[in-house]
Amino acid sequence: MKKRLLTILAIILSGAVSLRAQNLSDLIISEVVVENETGLVDENGEHTPWLELTNTSQGTVNYAGCYLTDNKDVPKKYMIPKGVIANRLGARQVVVIRPGFEIRKGSTIYLISTDGKTIIDSIKIPSDLPADMSVRKIAMDNKKMDFKTMQEPAVPSPGLMNSEGNTESGAEKVARTDPHGGVLTLTSVSVVFAALLILLIIFTIMGNVFSGKYKRKPKKGKSSIDADTAAAIAMALDLECGDDGTAAAIATAIHLYLEDSVHDSESFVITITPRSSSWNNKKDMFRKPVR
Amino acid sequence: MSQIFESLQQFWQFTGFANCAWQNLVMILIGIFFITMGIVKEWEPLLLVPIGFGMIIGNIPMFPGLNIGIYEDGSVLNILYQGVKQGWYPPLIFLGIGAMTDFSALISQPRLILIGAAAQMGIFGAYLLALLLGFAPNEAGAIGIIGGADGPTAIFLSSKLAPDLMGAIAVSAYSYMALVPVIQRPIMLLLTTKKERLIEMPKPRKVSQRERIIFPIVGFLTTAFIVPSGLPLLGMLFFGNLLKESGVTKRLANTASGPLIDVVTTLIGVTVGASTQADKFLTGKSAMIFGLGLLSFVIATASGVLFVKFINLFTKNKINPLIGNAGVSAVPDSARVSEVVGREANPSNHLLMNAMAPNVAGVIGSAVAAGILLGFLG
Repeated sequence: MKKRLLTILAIILSGAVSLRAQNLSDLIISEVVVENETGLVDENGEHTPWLELTNTSQGTVNYAGCYLTDNKDVPKKYMIPKGVIANRLGARQVVVIRPGFEIRKGSTIYLISTDGKTIIDSIKIPSDLPADMSVRKIAMDNKKMDFKTMQEPAVPSPGLMNSEGNTESGAEKVARTDPHGGVLTLTSVSVVFAALLILLIIFTIMGNVFSGKYKRKPKKGKSSIDADTAAAIAMALDLECGDDGTAAAIATAIHLYLEDSVHDSESFVITITPRSSSWNNKKDMFRKPVR
Repeated sequence: MSQIFESLQQFWQFTGFANCAWQNLVMILIGIFFITMGIVKEWEPLLLVPIGFGMIIGNIPMFPGLNIGIYEDGSVLNILYQGVKQGWYPPLIFLGIGAMTDFSALISQPRLILIGAAAQMGIFGAYLLALLLGFAPNEAGAIGIIGGADGPTAIFLSSKLAPDLMGAIAVSAYSYMALVPVIQRPIMLLLTTKKERLIEMPKPRKVSQRERIIFPIVGFLTTAFIVPSGLPLLGMLFFGNLLKESGVTKRLANTASGPLIDVVTTLIGVTVGASTQADKFLTGKSAMIFGLGLLSFVIATASGVLFVKFINLFTKNKINPLIGNAGVSAVPDSARVSEVVGREANPSNHLLMNAMAPNVAGVIGSAVAAGILLGFLG
């Protein structure tokens, strides 16, 4: 049972991956011409209806084996032939196709995936589409490849990406909107200053932290003991305990604690970290290395 | 016999003598002048000598179609030139610059960072002037970047915005970088009083290694998020600096700041020089680019100095305006100029370490400015 489930899962996954890998979902029907009287000619030199597919992705898509239809109930009406190198459509490229059925005004053309079921895209052809005019989808944003079907018939542009006035370069746009360069200059100067101002603020704060201007406040409990208190405690202990060194050790511990030179995880426990010297440092020992 | 004579005649057609034009000779003389300045005056020899020799290489008259010229597809020079044309070399140089630059002066005196922003006014001043002279916005942006006093940035931006002008822009940028002491000194003296030149500044504090490691990471994140279009330059600059400061990638830092930058500088110098073929270089546009480049340097220097004077109106701890010129990113030449001019006024006043702060801020500032121009005009 487990094995069968895994097999089904693997088949589903591989199917999903193969569909995704081909990016068939990134294909759109971008333009259709029904009455082609004076426009594009086919390989026989005849004016035939055509439609255009666009790959909106950044990868190559093999559209061979996909179907075109004008009837959802008959999804496999026309299969795009396989085994042709030209069926591989590069990133953001378009291809003109002549479907093997009559394209009619008022119908909807569907692009069906290679499985013969999944509708990838569709386009509705207006019933009043004039001759030598096309219905098309236009990229409203070339970067995001955001397409929208235009209601107005347009002059066909077979083989070219359909876009509306947004193909102008940045320089052309600046030349149009800011011919004297004042806006760009002010914007750029502000951005340069803003970027370096942010760095100034960050590094001022960082510098203050690292140079010790912002000292950490002593923990609760520590604030009640200052250096004078520590000295007083040490003197009192000295009187009490005599000269056996206990007082000096306690005074040193309190001093180190106040200086933050010891790191205690538990409160009220003071640890003096052992320091290395030439007597306990391994590299300074006079022993020969063991071979 | 006649066959030999014919073949000699044919050979003559292939020689440089038969194809020579006066423009080629002019460019060869300019190349020799660059080499002379580099060797005799020691003005940026690492740049001027390769560029000068490249100019000679690029202007040897030749029979077209031999597939050896820098503009002929597939030729060896053309392949090497792709590093300039496609903008590969500048980020690699920035990697090396990052790996050899000590940002401690900047980290310890962050208040001087804004001088590096003020000096970028040269870029935008030249941009406005170029527009006035009738250059297209993309060309004006590429010309303006000469004011950043940063050769790799100028090449990077002009390769993206105005490839046709790249040769003139690159040669102009590197020439003026070599002439930093000559251009900046009179402007600094003109804009400062004797009293201002005597201002002494405290020594920068010592910066811990932890701060120096944090700097490239924070610096990169901040600038790259603001100007992602400057990513190739900013990324490589800060990455190179992290290699240097991390303390654990010494070998990589040494390679980036040594052999790698040397190789790339050689290639960039020779190919930029060779790209200045007479027919493409000796034009009215090139003359205007050289004029605008000079003006952009003047504006950049003056802006930096005047900005310091402006800051001094509001601060108690006065800054010596002589470090204002160092806001351009000609590292460390412009900082050296601050030191020299400062010591002329007061021999015991050492401004070098203070001037290094705006100097390295200028490197960041010009990369940010290039990113902005690329974002708007690309």
